[in-house]
Amino acid sequence: MTSAAKRRKKENVMDPVPKITWKEIKRQKVLLLWSVVIVIYGIIFCYLPLGGWIMAFQDYKPKDGLFHSAFIGLENFKFLFSDATFLRVIRNTLAMGVINLASTFVMAIVFAILLNEVKAKGGKKVVQTISYLPHFLSWIVVTGILHDVLSGTGIVNEILMRLNILDQPLNFFAHPKFFWPIVAFANVWKETGWNAIIYLSAITAIDPSLYEAASMDGAGRWAKIKHVTLPGIKPTIMILLLMNVGNVLNAGFEIQYLLGNGLVQSVSQTIDIYVLKWGISQGNYALGTAAGIFKSLVSIVLIVIANQIAKRHGEERLF
Amino acid sequence: MKRKQMLAFGLTIAMAASLLAGCGGEKKDKEKEEGGIKEFTAFFAVPGTEINDDNEIQEKIAEITGAKCKETWLTGQTAEEAVGTMIAGGEYPDFIDGGDAMEQLYEAGALVPLDDYIDDYPNIKEYYTEEEWDKLRKDDGHIYWIQQFGNIYGEEKATTHNDEAFWIQARVLEWAGYPEVKTMDQYFDLIEAYQEANPTMEDGTENIPYTILCDDWRYFCLENAPMFLDGYPNDGCVMVDTDKLQVMDYNTSPTAVKYFQKLNEEYKKGIIDPESFTQTYDEYIAKLSTGRVLGMIDQWWDFAYSVNDSLKQQGLNDQGCDYIPLPITIEEGMKNQWHNSGSVLNVASGLAITTDCDDVEGALQFINDLLGQEVHDLRYWGVEGVDYDVDENGEYYRTEEMRTQASDTAYKASHLCTYSYFPQYSGTSRDGINAMSPQNQPREFFDGLNDDVKKCFEAYGAETYVDMLGTSEAPGPWYPLYSFSGTLTTSTPGGMAWTKMGEVKHEYLPKVVMAEDFDQAWDDYMKVYEDCNPQAFLDEMQAELERRIEEHEKYE
Repeated sequence: MTSAAKRRKKENVMDPVPKITWKEIKRQKVLLLWSVVIVIYGIIFCYLPLGGWIMAFQDYKPKDGLFHSAFIGLENFKFLFSDATFLRVIRNTLAMGVINLASTFVMAIVFAILLNEVKAKGGKKVVQTISYLPHFLSWIVVTGILHDVLSGTGIVNEILMRLNILDQPLNFFAHPKFFWPIVAFANVWKETGWNAIIYLSAITAIDPSLYEAASMDGAGRWAKIKHVTLPGIKPTIMILLLMNVGNVLNAGFEIQYLLGNGLVQSVSQTIDIYVLKWGISQGNYALGTAAGIFKSLVSIVLIVIANQIAKRHGEERLF
Repeated sequence: MKRKQMLAFGLTIAMAASLLAGCGGEKKDKEKEEGGIKEFTAFFAVPGTEINDDNEIQEKIAEITGAKCKETWLTGQTAEEAVGTMIAGGEYPDFIDGGDAMEQLYEAGALVPLDDYIDDYPNIKEYYTEEEWDKLRKDDGHIYWIQQFGNIYGEEKATTHNDEAFWIQARVLEWAGYPEVKTMDQYFDLIEAYQEANPTMEDGTENIPYTILCDDWRYFCLENAPMFLDGYPNDGCVMVDTDKLQVMDYNTSPTAVKYFQKLNEEYKKGIIDPESFTQTYDEYIAKLSTGRVLGMIDQWWDFAYSVNDSLKQQGLNDQGCDYIPLPITIEEGMKNQWHNSGSVLNVASGLAITTDCDDVEGALQFINDLLGQEVHDLRYWGVEGVDYDVDENGEYYRTEEMRTQASDTAYKASHLCTYSYFPQYSGTSRDGINAMSPQNQPREFFDGLNDDVKKCFEAYGAETYVDMLGTSEAPGPWYPLYSFSGTLTTSTPGGMAWTKMGEVKHEYLPKVVMAEDFDQAWDDYMKVYEDCNPQAFLDEMQAELERRIEEHEKYE
């Protein structure tokens, strides 16, 4: 939300709350109609499936279905938290989530600001287009590229050997220590350009007279970025940060699934992969659901905490 | 402006409609009757290639049987994932083979019991003996699926070793003057010597001396060799002491230590492909198809069908890049059991009919008809005069042209229809002359061999791949035990242990092979391995072994 919008919002609050009259409803009927569609969509695809959560407290058998399976209380959760694999999977998910969040978030802002400073219009357009194209590639393509680039005969090993940094090819996928950086790099490469778009548009909304005033006061480029651009997009940054914090546990599924192998499985498996492995593959749907519930709860807690912190500091927030 | 809005609105509606159509549109398409021809659907949880909708032999079979079947295959998932998703969704095709996830389908109540029907269909009835049918019974006493493979009609005609072996390229054997290679040490010595003398192929591409496939469930190429090296047959998950009737763990045997230590040494020497443990199955097949790889362990069916065709297309068989199996054991003078003769009944999976099938009788009639000799010949030999000819003695044969045609991908899709995951026979045709399929017809097999393989067979006095290894009978009525470990789920302690053992081996076996200090790495591995409680698994295997022997005694 831009500062202008914020101002409008404040004015709104001062107005008396408009009464819901038939006239008002009629006036807004198109808007209401569309929101009803969205609400129905939300109910069908986001809330109805939650009924399946019952499974997590049952000894669920597909044969007996949701209504005839025996209830076993918290057994599934007990199993989860006594399973060393699950604990490791939580660690991996959190670690990769935080690394991804930090790296893609910072990179997108830096990239947007840098791009904003480019004065040649044509060059700017070209760079922007090229940089957001990877967003439209599916992970299977991206992992394919990574596999080739990082393979024993790939370009990275070739360069490192030419520069005499390595004396024989290094198999990047065989070492657990490289896995998280590779995932973070892939995320940055794929999403930076796309994420930067929203910041770029926020920057365009900054009043040009502010820059002019800053120039008059003798501000250079650096000072203008620091005192005009950054404060100008701060509300956008805060909102996106909040939303992304809630997404930390969605550290990804495809990339880890496609890049992982036996050697790195102790650092590569995320909660989603665990759910697939135990819930779907082993046919233990109840356990998979329990793991899913845990993930949702942690996400909600994270987002509430982040929101509270933002509130306390008087920043833009979600609710 | 108005028009533009209308257009946008129209587009939105169209998008929404297409989304909804994706959800429920194709619901009752199946089993539709088209001009009196029933159309069934089938899903097989193994990778496969779909054939064209207007496939010529499929149409011919449909004319004879009055039915056809649209087959779909696994793509990019494991069998368990695909089947698990299907169960969660609760919708099934008419026919299904869940592969490794068959047990889940049974537990979900998705399958129709077949035992009441079988007597009405002579070809199906004939397919197994009473004892074999009983082996297929589940714990509730019903038969739910028909295992399609390993069924030999009449006299066995084995030519190809369809199973696991240490494979080596013909050029390596030729270079060394076709030596006897009997142990793992000799095998690696030979590869090392060849690699030193010939580090590249004719066009300058570097050889890869030895690679190991380790992708997901295919890691048997790394993990189960100790069983074979000790001279035991492919029980897949344990070794069975035939005197004491006792199961033994091959993961902890002295041979396992020797085998992995050898791999560790070879890894340090640079003989083992450093990408072994990170390559995917596709990358592995691509690697083998270039002819660079001198040797590996694998199952014939896992590599040969795609790799051999592409080696042939590139003319690499002239350089001797075809793979030959070797009878390798841990020490010399041991009997090897890489190849077993006779039928192998894998009761863990098979072709089943689901509860979503509206015409169970029709479906069984279709299976029955596919086993008739005329249709069976159409499936595996093709059309007479087009795909094979018949000589004056009634023997089928193919010309070189027909053979090349049959290995062409486009031709396979438009013309051939083997219904390869429906019940089928190997062995001798009902006419008593021919083999059930071309690759088992001795004359056809030998004529179709590439020169490098022919030369190699001659040098060793072998006529077939099987002769290279020798053959032995199945060890007992319990064989193969993998048909039980394949049905274990995490609901029992043994199944839980089995799953965990798999996870640990996936991670630690590559570590052991790549370790600087082998002994240390092996100790670490053994520690986590013991934590999986393998004894629980072995106990359940032992119980199953005894149960199977007991079952068998009822028929003696």
